[in-house]
Amino acid sequence: MAILPKKNELGFFEIRLESIGGLGANLAGKMLAEAGVLGLGLNGSNFSSYGSEKKGSPVKSFIRFCDPAVEIRAHSPIEQPHVVGVFHEALYKTIDVVSGLAPDGILLVNSTRNFDEIKRDLKLEYGTLAIIDALQIAVEEKTKVNTAMLGALFRICEFLDPESMKNVIRKTFEKKYPHLVEPNIRTFERGYNEVQFKTYETPVDAQGKSFSRPMPILGYETQEIGGVITAQANSVLKDLSGSRQGFLPKFEIEQCINCAACDTVCPDLCFVWEEGEDKRGRKQMFLKGIDYQYCKGCLKCVEACPTTALSDLRETIGYAESHRVKHNFPYVAGGVS
Amino acid sequence: MAMAEKELKVINRAEQLTTFESGNEMAAMAAAQINYHIMGYFPITPSTEVAQYLDQMKARGEHNIKLIPADGEHGSAGICYGAAATGARVFNATSANGFMYMLEQLPVQAGTRFPMVMNLVTRAVSGPLDIRGDHSDLYYALNTGWVILTARTPQAVYDMNIMALKIAEHAKVRLPVMVAYDGFFTSHQKRKVYYFKEREVVQQFVGECPTDYNFARDPKVPVTIGAHMNGEDLMNNHFQQSEAMYASGDVFKEVAAEYAKISGREYPFLDLYGMEDAEVALFLLNSAAETAKDVVDQLREKGIKAGVISPNIIRPFPAKEIREALKNVKALLIGERADSYGGNGPNLTHEVKSALQDDKNNKTIVLSRVFGLGGKDFYADDAELFFKDAIESIEIGYAKIPFDYFGHIPGNEEKILKPVITPQHGDIYKSGLIHVEKDPETNNLKVKIPPIRSLTSKPKRIASGHGACPGCGIFTGLELFFKGIEGDVVVLYQTGCAYVTTTAYPYTSHKQTMIHNLFQNGAATLSGTVEAFLELKERGEIEVSDDATFVMVTGDGGMDIGMGSAIGTALRNHKLIMLEYDNEGYMNTGSQMSYSTPKGHMTSTSNVGKSQKGKSFHHKDTAQIMAATNIPYVFTGAEAFPQDLIKKAAKAQWYAQNVGTVYGKILITCPLNWKSEDRYGEKILEAAVNACFFPLYEVEDGITTITYNPDEKKKRVPLSEWLKYMGKTKHLLKEENSELLNELEEEIENRWQRLLAKNNSPFL
Repeated sequence: MAILPKKNELGFFEIRLESIGGLGANLAGKMLAEAGVLGLGLNGSNFSSYGSEKKGSPVKSFIRFCDPAVEIRAHSPIEQPHVVGVFHEALYKTIDVVSGLAPDGILLVNSTRNFDEIKRDLKLEYGTLAIIDALQIAVEEKTKVNTAMLGALFRICEFLDPESMKNVIRKTFEKKYPHLVEPNIRTFERGYNEVQFKTYETPVDAQGKSFSRPMPILGYETQEIGGVITAQANSVLKDLSGSRQGFLPKFEIEQCINCAACDTVCPDLCFVWEEGEDKRGRKQMFLKGIDYQYCKGCLKCVEACPTTALSDLRETIGYAESHRVKHNFPYVAGGVS
Repeated sequence: MAMAEKELKVINRAEQLTTFESGNEMAAMAAAQINYHIMGYFPITPSTEVAQYLDQMKARGEHNIKLIPADGEHGSAGICYGAAATGARVFNATSANGFMYMLEQLPVQAGTRFPMVMNLVTRAVSGPLDIRGDHSDLYYALNTGWVILTARTPQAVYDMNIMALKIAEHAKVRLPVMVAYDGFFTSHQKRKVYYFKEREVVQQFVGECPTDYNFARDPKVPVTIGAHMNGEDLMNNHFQQSEAMYASGDVFKEVAAEYAKISGREYPFLDLYGMEDAEVALFLLNSAAETAKDVVDQLREKGIKAGVISPNIIRPFPAKEIREALKNVKALLIGERADSYGGNGPNLTHEVKSALQDDKNNKTIVLSRVFGLGGKDFYADDAELFFKDAIESIEIGYAKIPFDYFGHIPGNEEKILKPVITPQHGDIYKSGLIHVEKDPETNNLKVKIPPIRSLTSKPKRIASGHGACPGCGIFTGLELFFKGIEGDVVVLYQTGCAYVTTTAYPYTSHKQTMIHNLFQNGAATLSGTVEAFLELKERGEIEVSDDATFVMVTGDGGMDIGMGSAIGTALRNHKLIMLEYDNEGYMNTGSQMSYSTPKGHMTSTSNVGKSQKGKSFHHKDTAQIMAATNIPYVFTGAEAFPQDLIKKAAKAQWYAQNVGTVYGKILITCPLNWKSEDRYGEKILEAAVNACFFPLYEVEDGITTITYNPDEKKKRVPLSEWLKYMGKTKHLLKEENSELLNELEEEIENRWQRLLAKNNSPFL
């Protein structure tokens, strides 16, 4: 039986999915693996990165396939995959999503952008790039991104049987949510049919993407004993913009009445205030804007806003950076402008 | 002898199906097929899924196990013990600190000889807290008197769960049995697994539940269980126990042989790979041993005679088999995912060495390494390095470094953490805009707060950059509360979402001092902190501003398992505030029900299906429980009513500084597990208050005052107005569940009416 197109030295065909919590990459990984193992009789394993399970934080799902006779003993994360599926494009800013990708590997990205832009941003030199606008499909069909991604992944993994996947989708929904069967099947089919490919020629001596294992920032000589942290509030250095799933609040200062309702409901403490004088010369607090570095796009502030100062915006690349009002934390270096 | 054992027939290989599941799923499947009588459990990562899967199956009517959600692991072990003493078949699953919390109960179970089966999904023991897999919990099990089976794969988890019960109940054993498998590596990785198509095969294999023993099950045959002893008697009891433990080794062999007949899968004492002629070997427990086998294959291709030993059972310890397996091995490296600090090697190093001691001809060089703590991955190249170390010791004839850690790094001086912001304390947090005074005439506290806009000048206590989900209600609730607190705070966060999302090492989102402790014990811990501050101050050893306020932050889960600690602290009336953010479940571990989950609400351990409709009992009224401790101030609050909450915070501070303990409960949304839209957080809370599910009130020196009355404000809405926002309650709005909805509405109305009565009478 020679179903698998490629194998590594242990006999595995390996897939890594890069996503954030809440997009359903774990479920997609599981369904993909089941299609190979239970559907085709391959041997396989599937697991996820075991970090925080909070929505919006980065997650990986791993799928290994091998011939039925091969025993799977490896438990470690997949470092040199044949296929990488990126569910959330913004991840490339904070994570090396193509880490270890084989030279002739396939990179699938959920994106509205074109091949060359993605190739540039993800620093792909050669191999096959596949693009699918899974979010658009999901919005149109009122379904989820992961089903469209799954369709595209089935197209990439030609050895899997898309018909059996459709049966799984049918079985999953037909009892409890019969009205969701058709939209989900359509989403899967559209993912399968609408994925676009472009191959960048792989030189004969091509190297795969290098990979590195994450190293801790501190070691036994540099950790404070007992794990005490003395750098209070250093989480302000983090960039959480990758947690947004396509939307952010747009702020129009002219409409703002400085009521602070947004500030009260913001879980990520993004609203930036400054002292000023009101028309009668009294000291008052004024809302200056939003620090999008921390905004996870929940849009609670839009609901809370009594005027039209805050509204929903489908995020476009660069908007947050150019409209960000930075928090002026009392940095030890004297403040960062 | 039990009937089943006498009647046991040889069963031919039974029909098996293939599935693709994880270790936790297979443990649950085995338990469901056995159809245990009772499972008393408390959720802890990574074992939690076992109870979740069983609850899902129960909702679908696939087994009849009575699943009892305990108030903590100590309670869960109590439930299991009580049920086992009654002669029921009992099952449990836990990990790490959950295991530590029940530890006291485990020798009781073994020493009084009541069989049961527990899955220990191994994970690092705190502290510092780490939720991933190692064997530090398992090593505490070694002296509990339980038989311990170790399962390397999801297949072994299933098989051993079936064998475990039969071993536990065997007349020669009658001991509890633990099945230990690796947290995440085995518990969460999905593999191809075979299972018996018919549960009858499993039930026939384990046989009937033995009844010919001294149980508390028949009032006509009264017995005393648990009399206390002196040493003279205890010696004999423990000798019996020791004999039973060694006997369980033979029983394991018998049971494994029978199991091989029906399953085709064999479980000898030791899993030996390449050991027939190995000169260099690794000794590894559980999943890491599998990884090392791939390396053995590679080394053998290069002509190196390498092998791996991994036990399938460690209590009783297979000393004889290990001795035999190592007869001709020149060097052995024992890799362990736990340490016995100061012991010159972890526990199994010494057990293996002691096994070798009895073979006077043995010349094996033994190296010991602590690796893979806290879930640090074990790659094939790590196993290669282990072999390299061992081979080197053969070449030089001795172990250069007999014991060491593996995988630790010194770190880079340049990356040492540096302060990011200037320390935030004192005047920064004094807005001067909040005033609390005692009215000399009425003796009541009068609170004045400014418009919320003005309070934006006061810095937040939590820094941006925390890792909570989008739309999380915790930090809006906490920050509103802290807006009302003037001056310094010292906070203690019990384990829960607020803690986990603000302290992912080496990052912290706390501006002021924060202490974490496990959630059984936060209130007691902070009471120690307060008293230490006061005592140090009294002796002139520290200078603390007079307005420092001590706040213990907990989820509703922490108020379940930590209830005893909270009540004890309240009764001692320390000057501190306990602040509970209630999101109606154990959201940090994956949305299991808490006692605060309302009746009928769906969680991962109160599923909705044909045989079960969400949580089966009403939500805990924690505010009333705490009010009954007669502390000076109890309050409730919600983000949707910000002025109300800020005022209560100001009062809370006054009471905590001048009188004693304060308890406050704030309701917060959890969009992830309430299955609600992120953006509606505030509206959902508003509806919960206006439906009188969550009344806003305070109890001040015993006097109850409703601070916002939806009836009077003409804002009252039916309960469905709240429930409609959430996926977890969607089923309650269906016609078929109207009776359940009525029950919930009635309970809420009754509690509201009682509260009104208290509001109207100073004597209630």
